[in-house]
Amino acid sequence: MEELILELKQEIIAVLNLEEVAPTDIADDAPLFGEGLGLDSIDALELIVLMEKNYGIKLKDPAQGREIFKSIRVMAEYIYANRTK
Amino acid sequence: MPKEILVSGGGVISALGAGKEATLTALRERRTGIAPVRYLQTAHTELPVGEVKMSNAEMMRALHIPEEEVSTRTSLMGMMAVREALEHARIGGKEGLRVALISGVTVGGMDKSERYYLDFLENDTKNAYIATHDCGACTEMIADYFGVFSAVETISTACSSAANAIMLGAMLLERGLADVAVAGGCECLTKFHLNGFNTLMILDREPCKPFDAHRAGLNLGEGAAYLVLEREDTLRRRGAEPLCRLSGYANTCDAYHQTASSPNGEGAYLAMAKALEAAQLTPRDIGYINAHGTGTVNNDLSEGVAIQRVFGESAPPVSSTKSFTGHTTSAAGGVEALIAVLALQHGFIPVNLNFALPMPELALTPATDEQPTAPLRHVLSNSFGFGGNDTSLIFSRV
Amino acid sequence: MPLLVRKYCHIANREVRVNGEAFPVAESDGDGKFLTSLYRSLKIDYPKFFKMDSLSKLGFLASELILRDENPRFAPREDLAVICFNRSASLATDALHQAAIQREDSCYASPSVFVYTLPSIVTGEIAIRNKFFGETSFYVCEERSAQQIFRTVRHAFHDKATRAVLAAWVECGGETLEALMALVDTECQAGIPLEEFLRGANIA
Repeated sequence: MEELILELKQEIIAVLNLEEVAPTDIADDAPLFGEGLGLDSIDALELIVLMEKNYGIKLKDPAQGREIFKSIRVMAEYIYANRTK
Repeated sequence: MPKEILVSGGGVISALGAGKEATLTALRERRTGIAPVRYLQTAHTELPVGEVKMSNAEMMRALHIPEEEVSTRTSLMGMMAVREALEHARIGGKEGLRVALISGVTVGGMDKSERYYLDFLENDTKNAYIATHDCGACTEMIADYFGVFSAVETISTACSSAANAIMLGAMLLERGLADVAVAGGCECLTKFHLNGFNTLMILDREPCKPFDAHRAGLNLGEGAAYLVLEREDTLRRRGAEPLCRLSGYANTCDAYHQTASSPNGEGAYLAMAKALEAAQLTPRDIGYINAHGTGTVNNDLSEGVAIQRVFGESAPPVSSTKSFTGHTTSAAGGVEALIAVLALQHGFIPVNLNFALPMPELALTPATDEQPTAPLRHVLSNSFGFGGNDTSLIFSRV
Repeated sequence: MPLLVRKYCHIANREVRVNGEAFPVAESDGDGKFLTSLYRSLKIDYPKFFKMDSLSKLGFLASELILRDENPRFAPREDLAVICFNRSASLATDALHQAAIQREDSCYASPSVFVYTLPSIVTGEIAIRNKFFGETSFYVCEERSAQQIFRTVRHAFHDKATRAVLAAWVECGGETLEALMALVDTECQAGIPLEEFLRGANIA
């Protein structure tokens, strides 16, 4: 799980162009949206693409993302439980 | 408005058919043009779309263009609509008038670029289509077909492009830089933006339900529409009849997010308020609002909030005719301005299809009855584009 | 009323000039990196910059160069319009999106790339940063014409609400990366007449 969490942080930084953020800047349990990383609705869609592309998880409704992207840990747990690749 | 800007003609092609008559009939019979994919080559056949029900070859035949000629679907639709508009206004090019063509377009010649992309890379058989890719080239092709335009402008502000073209046309006339302006927009469906909107997860898998509590996104459409605008002095000199007046317009920026509309609908509110101010009208004067109403959760709430801020609890009938045509993107401002003009001319409210349940956040129920409560004197048409580019146009009876 | 340019900047060939004066940018390689170097040289904190496509980055940086010493800096304005022009619209980003959807076996369009296939987003980015609620528009021209730019900017003042226009040629396609931006302001007492400015900037 810790490995997946680090991998996710690196992927998120790359795919969302978080140029000035290091993996250590993202706390495992801190909210991804709202305060903190300053992510928005387009970033959420980009994370949905990331989940499908890298882990074979297809979300039908962007609203599902709200629960899954609560924090890096929640996201990693969801991917761990649902990944198809 | 310093000078009276009159509308003396219009032309349209959309999922509702080619021409104003077909459009009017479909609107009054509540017959939507949204249907399964038929013409676009795409894997996404599950998505309903508002396609123009003509192939490129059929449009070329209708326009008497030889089949080997290089063209794009967008420019062909533009030609169909401009031809109707010019004929309607009886502009043939021999009147000694300076006629400007202002066209809104964003995806341009992408239909051919995506079809021939591999040919561009691998061989030289389709290179003629490289030059038709640009948005500017699309307007030039339309202008070349008619050969009557003394000025040609292309405006690209996403889904408000055509409305901004109409606004620019009015400004050219007011400044005396043209005698007649043919203004609107055109856009065909492409894989490019169907996939793009799909990745934004705002495409409804069912026919769209604007302003409904259970709305789930938009359906993409395609089409073209243009209005012929002229000053009163030109119109009188020509002995032409006005259909109505463009009495006010405004473009503002929501300055909130690249794609999302602000929760308080600031840009939309300012566009409507400033257009009313320019027309020297009060909110009570407006008898019908043709909303942008895409059917996305975000747009309809934000626009609804803005409408309530301008009109209070007693908003005039509001509808989104995207439930008939789909979202014709760059052409939408033209298609919907033309529908607003038809509503004014024929004294009816184009209804909002697929509405069942009001949005819980607002006291705003879209129009489902085509009978206006009072004779229509002024109608307002909203068009909003990504980038927060918001435009409102007001048309008034002469 | 003559239209006067109060401030201007030019970004081209990896060189930056503001009101005619060279603006130093740290060394970098590649145009993408050049824009990042310029961002860092401006010493601003706006992480959203890194999410923009090249066209928006270019227009955004030009606007920052012009507006950075405005006082007040971030006062919302309804009387300022942002009008951009170019030749190739969003071509560079269109190509990225097209490449992503071209592969039948792995078709993953990126939402953030798609958003920037609209050239007019650059005007929105500038408006968002500065809270400009006035007119925004984007013109795609066959060629760069001083007359067309002059006329269009003059039109923008026609509506009485507009008191200033941030006007720019922003081109980002193929080998070219160029921004020429001017702040045209009716409150301005001394400045370069816009027509003269456009002629001097070697715009045909």
